[in-house]
Amino acid sequence: MSIHIPILIIISPLLAAFLVLLSRKYKIILATASIITSIVFTLTLSSRVLSGDKVTYHLGGWRGPLGISLVVDELSLFFSLIVLGLGLLVIVYSMPERNYGRTYYFLLLVSLSSMIGVIYTADIFNMYVFYELLSLAVYLLIAYPKTGVTLRASFNYLIMGGVGLSFFLLGIGFLYAMTGTLDMFHIAGRLPAAFDSSMQMVIMSFVLIATGMGIKIAVFPLHGWLPDAHSMAPSPVSALLSGITVKIGIYCLIRVVYTVFSTEMFLLISSHNILIVLGVVSLLFGASMALVQKDLKRLLAYSTINQLGIVLIGLGIGTELGLTGALFHVLNHAIMKSTLFFCAGIMITETGTREVKGLSGFGRQQPAITFAFIVASLGMIGIPPINGFASKWLICLAAVEAGYTFPVVIILIASTIAAAYYFRVIQVLFGGSLKQGPMPAHEGEQVIHRGNLFRSWPIYILAAGCLLLGLLPALGISLVKPAVSLLLFHVVP
Amino acid sequence: MTPINISLLVFMIGLYGVMSKNNLIKKIMGLTIMNGSIVLFFISIGYRKGGLAPILEKGTTGDIPTIIVVDPLPQALMLTAIVIGISVTALALALIVKIYSKYKTLDIQQLSKER
Amino acid sequence: MRSSKIIRTIAQKLFPFIVLFGFYLISHGHLSPGGGFQGGVVLGTAIILLALSHSIEQTEKKFKSRWLNMLEKLGILTLIFLGFLGIFLGYSFLSNFLPLGKPGQIASGGLMLFFNIAIGIKVAAGVSVIFYALVRYRGEI
Repeated sequence: MSIHIPILIIISPLLAAFLVLLSRKYKIILATASIITSIVFTLTLSSRVLSGDKVTYHLGGWRGPLGISLVVDELSLFFSLIVLGLGLLVIVYSMPERNYGRTYYFLLLVSLSSMIGVIYTADIFNMYVFYELLSLAVYLLIAYPKTGVTLRASFNYLIMGGVGLSFFLLGIGFLYAMTGTLDMFHIAGRLPAAFDSSMQMVIMSFVLIATGMGIKIAVFPLHGWLPDAHSMAPSPVSALLSGITVKIGIYCLIRVVYTVFSTEMFLLISSHNILIVLGVVSLLFGASMALVQKDLKRLLAYSTINQLGIVLIGLGIGTELGLTGALFHVLNHAIMKSTLFFCAGIMITETGTREVKGLSGFGRQQPAITFAFIVASLGMIGIPPINGFASKWLICLAAVEAGYTFPVVIILIASTIAAAYYFRVIQVLFGGSLKQGPMPAHEGEQVIHRGNLFRSWPIYILAAGCLLLGLLPALGISLVKPAVSLLLFHVVP
Repeated sequence: MTPINISLLVFMIGLYGVMSKNNLIKKIMGLTIMNGSIVLFFISIGYRKGGLAPILEKGTTGDIPTIIVVDPLPQALMLTAIVIGISVTALALALIVKIYSKYKTLDIQQLSKER
Repeated sequence: MRSSKIIRTIAQKLFPFIVLFGFYLISHGHLSPGGGFQGGVVLGTAIILLALSHSIEQTEKKFKSRWLNMLEKLGILTLIFLGFLGIFLGYSFLSNFLPLGKPGQIASGGLMLFFNIAIGIKVAAGVSVIFYALVRYRGEI
């Protein structure tokens, strides 16, 4: 049974999703049990993967360039641990809400299962299919409270996501026309021959795939769906989106660049300069737009564009230090942004308003949650004992080593702007008394207590994670180093 | 005008439709046109000169390994892509029905002015 | 909205033939163009034809919404179960463990026939449920 583990990691949330639709009473137990099973399976794989040889699983017994295989190597393991860990915390956070019926857990489980599918598969068309499945589940999750703004935000995301994935599919078409196979490792073997014969088609396919992924990562010109979608969604879904779903786009970009197109081709069309420029522009754009936002969740959504710009700068630099910083920042941003969105969810339900002005006095009433919010926002700014500092420092160091000083200046400016808007929120939190009392349904003490228990423990765990990774950054870097050494130094088989 | 060039032209037409039409349903139509053009692209990639359809019929004469058939793999991939396109279109139309019942308009300029 | 008598009669008489054609497409998926999705859509179209020519309420009384929901979930659970049978009998997930017959006969593709049937039922139910859901807003807009 142990060789079947990779497919079981994908199938167990999917099976639980369809079983959740059939039963109303056991939906939460099924959801958490399936995700915990997947986490346990992933951890059993990790010892074998981290010792250097990747786990391959051929679906249906078809091997070679004809069949679909699942490949778990260090990069996939790293991303899948982030996805599953945060997925479990999102499910725990959304447990106390009574309005979330079976459809909500079904969509959540399908989206988590298809994320693991995108990460583990080695067949590029299969990656497209799982990515479309993920996008469909996320469009429905955003529109789950069927209010006017959520429907419009979901429709906006649908159109732009659909266009982006069509670009991705067209790029896959060009790759198939040149090489005749769909398995990523076999394409990498056959691509140099095709590159010599028709260089323009290779470049065209790379540009199409990168544009498609750029729409999903929300780099600067293609970011239009992100503020509405991430801010209007319900809070656990916002954490899922900002924390994990955009990271899947980054994973696809890294996988296509390093496994399918080898690094030499990437440098030939000087795309690393383009990535650094786009990263810098997203950085400034996200920071400036977040400064003027009045709505708390829109501020956090623009902050996501900000941080992803930093990851793109790290990826564009491409040295070992830059890649380590970029992947470490992916992990840190996932943890920090989820903490912030979870806290924002509690703040919005307790004070009844989404604006930053209305949160005054919340800090005095719930000091523990405010402390977690402060820890996470210090990390986003990049202040030393929290993990955000370690990853930003690594990227700045990599930029200086490689000779790019301008991005370092911009990163520092953007961190200052980030300090401005986060401190504005913290100042309001500790301001005067609560202007608006708690919601009438929460007046009984028992109701507040039980809801807060399930909602606050994920926040405490994530904030503790921020502090831990910040005080011992070597722990985080040791998680990232196998992935980076795989990307840069191993020969593609 | 090979089929590949025509499919890329139709892809651009679909992209123009998504970007510049104001009505929500016309945007969905643009997205469907883009999906259709990708189907045409993949299938025209799989064409081999003088190839038959990849179906083994009863009483096929001649040596089986030397018959030239068109590539069946893009056709199988496009079945999946068509299904995905239908699901996205169905979801988008369901969202449009709900948006219309709430706002009574389908014009995206007016919808973006709503608060 | 009542259609004319010609349309209602022809739709009623054509319905069994469309269903037969749908099942033909599903079961000959590994021999000729067709397969699970295509046959499922044709089956769903048969139900949609009835709903359009007669009234929605009459069609929904015959093909109940709850049954179609159950069929849809049953289809996907059958598919996952067939995949797991591959694991229990020692091969990989979704691998074929039935004997391959002579090419050209129906019982020749191994597990493909059962996959096609499961997918066909699921897609037929799915298309009908989507149609019911979208059409129910007729009176409220």
